[in-house]
Amino acid sequence: MMAFVSGKHTASAVGRPGIVSKLAVVEGRPMTKLLLIEDDSETAEEITAELADCGFEVVWAANGIEGLDRARSLRPDAMIVDRLLPGMDGLTVIEALRKDQVRTPVLVLSALGAVDDRVRGLRMGGDDYLTKPFAFVELIARIEALLRRPAESRERILRAGPLELDLIERTVKRGERVIDLLPREFRLLEYMMQRCDQLLTRAMLLEEVWNYKFVPATNLVDVHMGRLRHKVDGPGDTPMIHSVRGTGFILRTGQKI
Amino acid sequence: MRAPQFIYTTTFRWALTVTAVLAMFVAVLFGFIYWKTEEYLIARSDSVLAGTLNIIAATPEERRLIAINQHLKEDSRSLQHAGLFDPEGRRIGGNLEQMPPELKLNDTVQSVPIVKMLPDGGQTNCVIRAIARRMPNGNVLVIGREVDEANKISHVVGLAVTLGLVPAFFLCLIAGAWLSVRAQKRIEEINQRVQRIIAGDLSERLPYRSVDEPLSKLAIIVNGMLDKMETMIHALAGVGNDIAHDVRTPLTRARLTLERGRTNATTLEQLQAVADKSIVGIDQALTIVTALLRLAEIENSRRSAGFGEVALDEMLDEVCDIYEPIAENKNIVLHVEATHRITVRGDRDLLIEAVANLVDNAIKFTPEGGKVSVELLRGEGAVIMRVTDTGGGISAQERDAVQRRFYRSDKIRNTPGVGLGLNLVTAIVKLHGFRLTIFSGPGCRVEIACPDAPGWTQAAPASPRPEKLTHPSDAVVASS
Repeated sequence: MMAFVSGKHTASAVGRPGIVSKLAVVEGRPMTKLLLIEDDSETAEEITAELADCGFEVVWAANGIEGLDRARSLRPDAMIVDRLLPGMDGLTVIEALRKDQVRTPVLVLSALGAVDDRVRGLRMGGDDYLTKPFAFVELIARIEALLRRPAESRERILRAGPLELDLIERTVKRGERVIDLLPREFRLLEYMMQRCDQLLTRAMLLEEVWNYKFVPATNLVDVHMGRLRHKVDGPGDTPMIHSVRGTGFILRTGQKI
Repeated sequence: MRAPQFIYTTTFRWALTVTAVLAMFVAVLFGFIYWKTEEYLIARSDSVLAGTLNIIAATPEERRLIAINQHLKEDSRSLQHAGLFDPEGRRIGGNLEQMPPELKLNDTVQSVPIVKMLPDGGQTNCVIRAIARRMPNGNVLVIGREVDEANKISHVVGLAVTLGLVPAFFLCLIAGAWLSVRAQKRIEEINQRVQRIIAGDLSERLPYRSVDEPLSKLAIIVNGMLDKMETMIHALAGVGNDIAHDVRTPLTRARLTLERGRTNATTLEQLQAVADKSIVGIDQALTIVTALLRLAEIENSRRSAGFGEVALDEMLDEVCDIYEPIAENKNIVLHVEATHRITVRGDRDLLIEAVANLVDNAIKFTPEGGKVSVELLRGEGAVIMRVTDTGGGISAQERDAVQRRFYRSDKIRNTPGVGLGLNLVTAIVKLHGFRLTIFSGPGCRVEIACPDAPGWTQAAPASPRPEKLTHPSDAVVASS
């Protein structure tokens, strides 16, 4: 079941960690700039307010043509694009930008559940897709994932805190302790280590690790995560895999944020 | 002035055409009879003339005039003509005033115009058949006869044609008009019923008389279609009510929670609890809507663009790999037997979804300590994916109901997602042209049969232990 936990109170109550903007502010970098192209002003207002609360700078465009202009002139760090727009369809806007060699990551919003071939192509391009209605947590987690897309790494060993994962040998160590993982668990941990200190929602994990295009009735992710956690966080270890109530999971490296 | 409507109907036009063709045939036939009869009569009359000429010519010269007069006297209708002329052409005897100028001597019987003297002293022109011969003494003997039989026959024929054809023509017209009016009436009747159906009276049916009549046959076919549609529309309406009910329940809960919370909550924590509870309710409603949309999406899509070769053995392994921990948590043995490499044409994502749904269900409804098996078999003319569990199974009653489109059992409706899950599987299976069979009895057994088609291949040799697959009569096929 999807959990549409939203509202900043709930989120802050569980201490929503890993918000990029907080990092940005702490490190004194300029604010992350987002472009929102959405024709419904009320939805746009809500999204803008929520993103602003998380420390993003949001520019709103109400239609496709205006959105394309803004995207070209402002050069945002990421874009949120509604699929059905007056004037110019959201996917057309993205295609136009890609033709101009603008590689800004895009999160497409749509009321359409159908994932057609154009959207499949979009996914392959590394961008993301979210169906309305969505939870704010989900939206923010995905934007964060887009902004912190892991760089193409040639390194054979991934490191996160005391964890070491060898991509060639397919072995995992926590400190000196060797962790024996099943192939599926290995893929899950690999995905999480590439995105440590980042909130990963159940839907994201299902799509990326299990390649599921639908939400199964049983909470698959929790069961698999439970097993992985059992192996990674041994007795006496500081827990690394944390669950965020009703939303997803974080692999914390233990660094103070 | 407007002509009556029936004139424009095809029935009437056809009747008219048929009548015209018939009239033409009859006229040609009568003409032929006339022509043949006339020919025969003239031939007969000609031979009589030649005979008479021979007889009179054979009589001695002095008695020839008497024979001519005798011959003329025997003719009561005064149709016979005869004449004897001297070599200079002067009349010696007979009723011909002069030698017909166009008559050739010593020839066959021929038609020649003459001037006929009437008994009252007048005269008239007419054409007769005549023959002439020069006698040994130089005189010319002419024997002729009026052929008015031909005229009489033509008169009779004309009368017969008029008497026969004109009434027949009108009869045809009336029949055509009657037929077209009748057809029009029936069409109008059908139209009225159809209008009632359009207006929403789904129980209305088209009228029909006998099974052999084309229009009745059509009406029966349409009625069959209407029966099917009525059932479907009623089923759909039922589904609509079910959905409305299912969506309304969590929404009502959310609304009540919000309303009460607004009045009673005094602290931020209380208000947050209220909001959380409301969000859960709204999420439930949204889950139902999402599942329904997905169902519609699969049912409507005729896409085969996403189709490719899917290795069923690998796919089953993968699904079971995913569900293994869940089964283990419930202390259920999840057993996979997919040793043969079998591929089919299909959409991999959708097929995984279907099988995952079946396995999910099986695990959910199997009590602790039970067993769920997933098998891939070669059946007769089909590849079969079978999911068996040791749970309570589906009762025969319920199994029949599952077959119904959109059916959701009361027992399972309250289990989130499951009610629509089986419908989803059905839709996916149907999209692929496969067959879903649910077996009743203790321990649920569900099979997806992928019929052998040119599109699939089997890489491995046939099963070493060939599974004989019989489809028990109590099995329900929930597709096609």
